Amino acid sequence: MTVERISDVEFGVELETFSPDTSLASTGAFAQAVGWGKGAGGRFTDHERARKSGLPGALVPGIMAMGFLTSAIHRWAPTGVIEHVDTVFRAPLLADEPCLLSVVVTDIDEDAGLVELDLQVKNEAQETRVFGTARLRLST
Amino acid sequence: MLDIDELKTKFLDLEFDTVDLVIDADNLLMVAQMSGETRPEFIDPSRDDFHATPAFIASLAAGRRLPIHFPSLGGIPMDGGKAVTCLQPVKPGVPLTGRTHLHDIYAKQGRSGRMVFLVARMEIYDQSGTHLATSDSRMVIREKPGEDSDA
Repeated sequence: MTVERISDVEFGVELETFSPDTSLASTGAFAQAVGWGKGAGGRFTDHERARKSGLPGALVPGIMAMGFLTSAIHRWAPTGVIEHVDTVFRAPLLADEPCLLSVVVTDIDEDAGLVELDLQVKNEAQETRVFGTARLRLST
Repeated sequence: MLDIDELKTKFLDLEFDTVDLVIDADNLLMVAQMSGETRPEFIDPSRDDFHATPAFIASLAAGRRLPIHFPSLGGIPMDGGKAVTCLQPVKPGVPLTGRTHLHDIYAKQGRSGRMVFLVARMEIYDQSGTHLATSDSRMVIREKPGEDSDA
């Protein structure tokens, strides 16, 4: 289900999300595009090299998790504008492992056309790795 | 342990870095695609309204992470999170300027000692001086007792 206007939004609704691609090919391409390719020591591209540097494995960049969450919001609200997004990187999210996105409507200001959303990215063990909030503007 | 109030007095709101940027359209597209983005304004570079996703804006970095003479807190800084405020579309291929200041400093007591949080805020402007977006980078440092030398 998608929403177009603020009146379409229901308080407490959990958005339908998607299964993000956390493969090494994807995390590596993302890291390269934001300038974190060279000198990252395999942090986003190579499990073995990442483990040698003390990490639990190659990682999904934190801002890539932010990207998963904003993409989920954009799919739900194809005309909405994300005015603000704040994500806390609580613990590492590993590449090549599935992750679950959760986006929930926590407040609606019908007069201003604003929606507040709670955000979470969990790993397969249901542990929260990234959490945050977003503010979305929709037409009134 | 360093006095957080003293650090705030000395360093808060002090602009410590300015960087000129021109964003590459291919990189915007790649970040949007790898994030699972489906909206055309983020994945179709031929459109007039093609622009950066919030995650790309969050990746824009200052040349320096902290002001010169900011004291060392001992531990290794970790990326604690990012926040982005979008005011106007951030488009590729045009000159932009990022100005960075220390927006907040605070501490939390953890089980293994004090954690110091530093929020570096980059404000992104176009050539006419219009403020397009703001990107906050939250650094977390587990403080080592006795470390108080300059960075």
